[in-house]
Amino acid sequence: MTEPIPTATATPTALPAQTPHDDGPPDPPAARPAYGEKVEWRNYTLLLVLAVIWFVFQLLTDGLFLTQRNLGLLALQSTIVSLAAISAVMLIVTRNFDVSVGSAVALVGVVLAMLTVRAGWPVLPAILVAMLCAVLMGAWQGFWVARVGIPSFIVTLAGMLYFRGLSLIIPDGETIAPLPGALTNFATGYLTAAYSVILILLALGGYLAYQLRTVRRAVRLGLADDVRRPFARRAVPAIVAAAAGIYIGESIGIPLLVILLGVCTLVAELLMRRTRYGAKLYAIGGNPEAARLAGINVESAVFRNFLIAGVAYGITGIALTARVSGAVGGSAGLFLELDAIAAAIIGGTSLAGGRGRILGALLGALLMGSLNNGMSLMNVSTFYQETARGMVLLVAVAIDQLSRRRAA
Amino acid sequence: MTSTSAGSPAPGGPAAEPLMRLHRITKRFPGVVAVDDVSLDLAAGEIVALLGQNGAGKSTMIQIVAGVYGANTYDGDLTLGGEPYRPAGVIEAERGGVVLIPQQVSVVPEMTVGQNMFLNNEPTTRFGLVDWEGLYARARQVLADFGTDVDPRVRMGSLDLAAQQLVVIARALSADARLLILDEPTAALTENEAHRLFVHLRGLRARGVAIVYVSHRLAEVFAIADRVVVLRDGRLCGDHRTVDTTRDEVVRDMLGAGIPEPRQQYGGAAASPGEVALEVAGLSVRDPEDGDRVRVDMLDLTVRRGETVGVFGLVGSGTTPAAMAIFGAWPGRVDGTIRVDGRAVRINRPADAIAHGVGMIAPDRRRTLMLDHSVADNVVLASLRSLCRHGLLDPHARTLRAEEYVRRLNIRTPSVRAPVGTLSGGNQQKVQVARWLAAQTRTMLLVDPTHGVDVGARAEIYRLLRLLARQRYALLLVSAEAEELVAVCDRVLVLRAGRAVGELTGAGLTESNLLHLAAGD
Repeated sequence: MTEPIPTATATPTALPAQTPHDDGPPDPPAARPAYGEKVEWRNYTLLLVLAVIWFVFQLLTDGLFLTQRNLGLLALQSTIVSLAAISAVMLIVTRNFDVSVGSAVALVGVVLAMLTVRAGWPVLPAILVAMLCAVLMGAWQGFWVARVGIPSFIVTLAGMLYFRGLSLIIPDGETIAPLPGALTNFATGYLTAAYSVILILLALGGYLAYQLRTVRRAVRLGLADDVRRPFARRAVPAIVAAAAGIYIGESIGIPLLVILLGVCTLVAELLMRRTRYGAKLYAIGGNPEAARLAGINVESAVFRNFLIAGVAYGITGIALTARVSGAVGGSAGLFLELDAIAAAIIGGTSLAGGRGRILGALLGALLMGSLNNGMSLMNVSTFYQETARGMVLLVAVAIDQLSRRRAA
Repeated sequence: MTSTSAGSPAPGGPAAEPLMRLHRITKRFPGVVAVDDVSLDLAAGEIVALLGQNGAGKSTMIQIVAGVYGANTYDGDLTLGGEPYRPAGVIEAERGGVVLIPQQVSVVPEMTVGQNMFLNNEPTTRFGLVDWEGLYARARQVLADFGTDVDPRVRMGSLDLAAQQLVVIARALSADARLLILDEPTAALTENEAHRLFVHLRGLRARGVAIVYVSHRLAEVFAIADRVVVLRDGRLCGDHRTVDTTRDEVVRDMLGAGIPEPRQQYGGAAASPGEVALEVAGLSVRDPEDGDRVRVDMLDLTVRRGETVGVFGLVGSGTTPAAMAIFGAWPGRVDGTIRVDGRAVRINRPADAIAHGVGMIAPDRRRTLMLDHSVADNVVLASLRSLCRHGLLDPHARTLRAEEYVRRLNIRTPSVRAPVGTLSGGNQQKVQVARWLAAQTRTMLLVDPTHGVDVGARAEIYRLLRLLARQRYALLLVSAEAEELVAVCDRVLVLRAGRAVGELTGAGLTESNLLHLAAGD
């Protein structure tokens, strides 16, 4: 039953039946690349750029940049933008933009601070209510985009204005501080060095075991020829990253916020790469009409996309507010949306939709964070920092476009 | 004036110098000769209908005359008014008085009639500002000269299609046009609107303008044209004065003689049809923009398991809207009842249709495929649910599923990871079929499944359709190509102006019968 062409002479009762794949490789199409052969060189270019920048800063700061302490600080500094960038990727993948992130985050912070500081609530209920508010903000914007059909840019531009306004109205323009110690301690705390190393090793072990299982199954299904090469391709970067993590964390440990980011990343990656919902989001971004004609409820998927953005407002807002131990309605999260979108785009998310990786966006956030951090170490004024980040964004996207044009 | 056209079109040429003379025009595209050694004279004050099946070379020919193809891209000579005529582009052709009105006139509905008429050509005052008074005065003059009383200050979008078309023609004629070429001008018009257009065309003929009129509608052609010219496979194979010919003769010219009906070559007779898979009753479909415009009117149809039912109609007859409406993908209002496998169902969106086992191959692949995404992603798009293990998508299962269909349907692609946009048209179309096979929809609506597909892949798709029919799939095939329907369908429903006007089956299912019925004879 390997008759490839359903011809008139083929059996009239069935299409050539399903080949039983489990008992060995069923003659694969001649030119099929081996499993996982396709290497995303783009992601490696980004790593290369990052390495160059780090090297340059290391020279310019007389070795201050690549110290355990500074790298830990850098990870912490990039966390807030990274959290926002995760949801930015998900939205841009479906061709939606959220420019209200900074204001929404500020408003969530105000809610949290009002409840804990002014109303004296315990921390846990306050967090729950702040999260609820955040999800409602996402739902509100999702309603206008998905149900009413107003472009997301407009809806969130309006949101940017009135969320910021509300975050000033509610506390009457005052800064609310300090937050209860439980919150502040979490946001500024570190996992002890010993536990950090154990956590990293556990995570690495889990990842390697999962990859080994996946690759083995691929071999069994006839999708890969041997286990070693595809496994090594996944294992080596993970081992390098884990080694770097251990180097940074072995003296003072890992910031708790970075662990929170890790958890969020894991969940978001699973959602995007391994669920039907993620596949639908990529399809909608790739061609909304095609998605609709394939039976996907585009409105509902986009609405849920904004609900997830709401969850991200909550997590980001609480983390940011706790980190600075207070809610500053006027300036908290200013331009966060732009940093998040920039990180997503530097990380390879396509503005045209349908393409984008969460891990890429994290690298993008790290790259921009490195620029800030390195220039601060060199005592470069923030005026220059802004300018430099703008240029980097432009160059990164230009390289992306040019490389794609050559590939096409 | 019309007497000047009395010169015989037969070889030997008319006594008077023709307005436009085509001499041995040949136009080649890679792999195909679109226009093959065509010589033709067009006289002033004459309406010439240009007929031919899809792909006969009509569009290419009128585009050559209108300067769309530059003078060096084809062989042969053109003369206009006795002078050599070698337009390098459309603008130059228009300057020479040759104007093409495309099938779909492009207007900016949000702008006024006057703004549309002088788009990018606005008169200006001394200071370089737009001279609105002058613009509207000139627009009114042009429209009055043409004999319409449209107000140039109203929004273009507020006019009906016929009026918009008249405005476009009036604008084109303001440049002292001598030869007017109309590409299926009545495709989107109602009967009344078409009659209004004809009145104006006769007026132009009386003023000595030569008119080339491309159409599929024989009734119309015989009502308006002085002469009928037929192209087939790029060759001129019929040139008659309308009064001297019959519709049968014209249809014979279009189809050619002695072509065997290819019906059996794609897999022979179907199995005997089984139970009713799809039953549509009283389907009415309204235009999404103009709710009063009925695109499909009280259509009934049934498709049984193992049966391939065709729907044939000329452009604008409502065949595509009908299929879109059944699938729940039509943006306008839809009435009527649909039963799938004997059960009455409500289909408001494509997801409903798919849930009931109905899939659709849409007319335009750019609308249904994610061209930048891989073959695998496109194949599994409608069957994601079945690829989940423990609630998570299984990437291995996706690859296997895609490879299975690539093999079964013989889709030629370097790998299932290749972007589907890099495949040929025929293979892209097979990816669409694969998507629905994977989703296990046992009833399929296919709209122009061989659009833009080469001959070899076409035959393969026909064989595939016959095979699916033998496997008890129910297929509804909507097409504007009579040959295709005759080749693969068991019976064919013919629509004209949104209404079913007949059904052909068995020995009566021939191309010429289809064309006659659809054209309204």
